[in-house]
Amino acid sequence: MESKPRILIIDDEEVVRDSCAQILAGGNYELASASDGMAGLALADEFHPDLIFVDLKMPGISGFEVLEKVSAMDSTIVMVVITGFATISSAVDAMKRGAYDFLPKPFTPEEFRLITRRSLEKRRLTLETIALRREKEMLREHFAHIVSHELKSPLNAVQQNLMALEFEVGGSLTEVQKDKLSRTKNRISDLIKLINSWLRAISMDADQMKEAFTQVSVKDEIAKALENMEPYAVRKDVEIVTSIGEPLHSVMGDDLSLSEAFGNIIGNAVKYSRDGSKVTVKAEENGNDVVIAVKDEGIGIAQEDLPHIFDGFYRGKSGQAVASGHGIGLAVSRQIIEAHKGTITVESEVSKGTTFIVRLPKISPNSLNTKDSKVTKEESP
Amino acid sequence: MVKRLLIIDDDPDYVTGIKSILDNAGYAVEVAYDPKAGLQALQSRPYDLLLLDIMMGRGAEGVMIARKLRKDSKLREMPVLIITGMREQIAFLFPGEPIHPGFVKLDELVEKPVEPSLLLEKVNHLLQLAEERKAVPA
Repeated sequence: MESKPRILIIDDEEVVRDSCAQILAGGNYELASASDGMAGLALADEFHPDLIFVDLKMPGISGFEVLEKVSAMDSTIVMVVITGFATISSAVDAMKRGAYDFLPKPFTPEEFRLITRRSLEKRRLTLETIALRREKEMLREHFAHIVSHELKSPLNAVQQNLMALEFEVGGSLTEVQKDKLSRTKNRISDLIKLINSWLRAISMDADQMKEAFTQVSVKDEIAKALENMEPYAVRKDVEIVTSIGEPLHSVMGDDLSLSEAFGNIIGNAVKYSRDGSKVTVKAEENGNDVVIAVKDEGIGIAQEDLPHIFDGFYRGKSGQAVASGHGIGLAVSRQIIEAHKGTITVESEVSKGTTFIVRLPKISPNSLNTKDSKVTKEESP
Repeated sequence: MVKRLLIIDDDPDYVTGIKSILDNAGYAVEVAYDPKAGLQALQSRPYDLLLLDIMMGRGAEGVMIARKLRKDSKLREMPVLIITGMREQIAFLFPGEPIHPGFVKLDELVEKPVEPSLLLEKVNHLLQLAEERKAVPA
């Protein structure tokens, strides 16, 4: 709406059309008017109004019909109903059919100006919301592209050359030199992992994931996650103690995503552990759930940060700024766990430690059936 | 006999890294820095193995090469090691399929950056499989 706002008045009474035009004259508007519904609709199509005032009672097609047709044509056009027969029920009816507001006759110029201003503001906000939404979607796509191409590719090249260097001359380096090389490699590896979790966060599609669900052993996925995290735990001198209950039912899910979620949570526990402390990973059955608890003896999370811990791009203010990439991993984990119809919760005490608890519905004899039975199950209320 | 490998990857800095690992392991390594040059090389002389990047040029041009290979009666027998940094994009391109897309008959996939020992292991393994296939005439 960079140009003048366009206002269309549809009313069969000439006196109403004229007085509306008079009231708005001198304001920065472009005006058009029609004396019946059909003419009004035709004008709506070619005049591209931002705001339409429409009389409910007119010969020919009614104001209600105009509301419906304009809504179908362009739902962002703001419409205000004018009528001499102002009743609550007709107002409600008009709102249902897409009217934004209601102006009973007779009205004062001030009332008319006010409702015009408010309606145009509404139109501006509607258009702005649409534009922002579109922009957000584009940003998401561009971000994915920039992250993967402009950030990740150079890092991959750096890391690959470091690996080659270490492979070729590693044997003849002193311990101090080796240490420098391995620190460099480790930091770059962390950065690549962080970028991967960003990419994961913006590209994850839960519906798509669900289509590929199979029977997954929680025990195996925890083992995979532990294997990935082990070098990191060794580096930080953190001992990981596991206790897996027997029997432990499988769950329906996506194995790669689940081991990623477990890896994120365990990695997080290691990250916020004190050097030389312990992380406990426990999995057992509880009723219909498989419950996985990951407990650390780390710095803990402040009470005020707890509600935000699973929000993307959030990192605690209190004491947790030590390590990086905290928020994304947990946000992705929550998305993954929730796509599995599970829950993830957290309990924490500052300077004592944190426990993350994941509950996943264990496989029941029913859910082992074929895909068809799953579909019928979802369709039934 | 020294095995001849071809790398098709548009990032020269990245290629330096894997090429030196393969050179050191005694392979004869050639490089094409864009898909077009890569295809020309493949058509002009035989290679024992192709190391193929996926995201090149204006998009997933590596996929295009893989598809061309699959249709070529001679080249489809050549093992391909896909080396990609774009795991998510692979998932975008082949929704619902496992990360390893199985472009050609005989292929494997590793992610960038790849540990030298893993790279050599995969290259070795693919070359060995190809040898065995040649030894047993179909």
